Amino acid sequence: MAKPVFRGLLVAAFFALTLFVLIPPFVPRPAFIPGFAPPPDMWPRTVCITGIALGLISALAGVLGPRIADEPVDTDGSSRARMIARFIGVVACFAMFLIVVPYVGFLVGTIALTLAAILMTGERGRWLWTLLLAVGGPILILLFFHSVLGTQFPKGLLSKPFGF
Amino acid sequence: MLHEILSALVEVATFQNLLIMIAGIWGGVIVGAIPGMTGTMAVTLALPFTFYMQPVPSILLLVALYKGSTYGGSVSAILIKTPGTASAACTALDGYPLAQQGKAGKALNMALYSSVIGDFVSNISLIFFAAPLALLALKVGPPEYFMLMLFALTTVAGVSGGSLLLGLISGGLGLLLATVGEDMYGSFRFAFTNDMQSGLAIAPVLIGLFALPELIKLIVLRAAHKDEAAKLGDQKVTRAEFMGSLRTILKGSAIGSIMGAIPGIGPSAAAFFSYGEAQRSSKNGKNFGKGELEGIAASESANNGACGATMIPLLALGVPGDVITGVMLGAFMIQGLTPGPLLFQTNIHEVYMLLIGMLVSSVLLFFAGKITMRMFSYVSHIPQTLLTPLVLLLCLFGIYSISSSMFDVAVLLGMGLVGFGMFLLNIPAAPFLIAFILGPMLEENLRRALAISRGDPSVLVSSPITWIFSVLILFVITITVRREIQKSKDRKAVAA
Repeated sequence: MAKPVFRGLLVAAFFALTLFVLIPPFVPRPAFIPGFAPPPDMWPRTVCITGIALGLISALAGVLGPRIADEPVDTDGSSRARMIARFIGVVACFAMFLIVVPYVGFLVGTIALTLAAILMTGERGRWLWTLLLAVGGPILILLFFHSVLGTQFPKGLLSKPFGF
Repeated sequence: MLHEILSALVEVATFQNLLIMIAGIWGGVIVGAIPGMTGTMAVTLALPFTFYMQPVPSILLLVALYKGSTYGGSVSAILIKTPGTASAACTALDGYPLAQQGKAGKALNMALYSSVIGDFVSNISLIFFAAPLALLALKVGPPEYFMLMLFALTTVAGVSGGSLLLGLISGGLGLLLATVGEDMYGSFRFAFTNDMQSGLAIAPVLIGLFALPELIKLIVLRAAHKDEAAKLGDQKVTRAEFMGSLRTILKGSAIGSIMGAIPGIGPSAAAFFSYGEAQRSSKNGKNFGKGELEGIAASESANNGACGATMIPLLALGVPGDVITGVMLGAFMIQGLTPGPLLFQTNIHEVYMLLIGMLVSSVLLFFAGKITMRMFSYVSHIPQTLLTPLVLLLCLFGIYSISSSMFDVAVLLGMGLVGFGMFLLNIPAAPFLIAFILGPMLEENLRRALAISRGDPSVLVSSPITWIFSVLILFVITITVRREIQKSKDRKAVAA
């Protein structure tokens, strides 16, 4: 399937899902609406109907319009499977960060996430800078925000005895 | 009157006042350049210090912080594609490509010149047009607001990414996301968790959408040149480049001054609107989004142009136009000054001092910008493989510090993934963001207009101002569709 057609159908499907599946239970109408005020679901429904129409027009334009290739995305030449694996790695890292922060605290969580992010970019040659950035960076930034704004960053259940 | 002005000038030009303004501007620029730290934050943090100051210096400090932070947002937008403020999002569209081409210095300089001129024009408009603009702003009711925002949205959708259809789709997604949370009558929409009941904050959505996709792109695609640091490169904006952008700068300054005077609109919408208008009318329009100095000029002149103008409804009517001027209203009250028409009668000396101080702060912004530019220029020497994780780190801490909420951090990371998905599907991010920012106001004014008219939609085209905007919307759509048809024909011809 051509990209414009896929994109149009995906957009239409997303708005349709929101309109028919999410709006009925998650945008409740209050029992009383003052005067002639439109109900709370009027605007989301309007946006979704417009979105479905735009998605379908976009898909149709992809079918009927001229076949012009999209500008190529600049990559390192890796296979699609490898790139999908990298993307799954990113999602996993983000999810892990959100899961582990309550246990290990914000500081340790950000150290781990930064280290993972640097390694996933393919950086291998600058070990000293990598460690300084991943470990020293979060500590310095935490001290800055803590002392300037007084922000209390979450402490972990496991790391609380150590003060972070 | 002349005696009053001269006397105010003498009182403003003290060493202490200049020092306060320099500190405010410079502090604001640094705060604005740090992702996650906003002008509102800077002004709010400085508020307690003003309790111990004289009325005028205290307001000048807050105004200087506001102006500085609005300009500062452009520094990180250009160097690391992370807009420090929402109003700098448009600056990133052309600033970052210029930085990648080794012209970061040029982009930063153009941003500075445009900001200073925009700021100056805005202050002049504050001095001469405060009363008439405030009266005009009073005539803007819900239908006019709705049509104005619809026009701004159409313009942005039409000019971002080169396809009106994709721009509108992106805007639709932003409008839908903006409905999350409590609506104007207290109903909760799409509140899947308790955190979602108060809606999604602008900062995590903005930064997630613009900054994080760069990191994800670097990890997933690992494009060539990943080890190369962006060079500051050519610093100077040539006379020809400046003169070529001057029309756009003046137009952006005027747009900023007018839109800033309307309560609730603010610098972000002004910047997007000015960017769209510049792309439509410029002979270099097709280069916008690829590294066009005029794009930076349009965005920066308008967002700084709106700064001074947001003081118009505050001073003339006592109505704060946005959160920052809301904080300033508090500062005025604490100092025993009551903004509104009476201020010009009872405290005219303080008003003159404030206006002169604001003009002086425009000049100080230039020097603070030059110094800060050199300071931040070292950022461009950091390799991408270390810089983008550093941006992630700053974003995480910055976003958490705004509301001490892990939910906002989750939104930041989620929006990063959404932004990457939009990049893969060629859906532009700018209309999404502007729709997300304007969405609540757009909906509120539509519902108010319909409520006032007892459900009659013709209220949206019932006054001369709404007619003007309706015609402008049709004009923008026609121009954009014509341009796209022409572009399609050209591409077909090249392919043949």
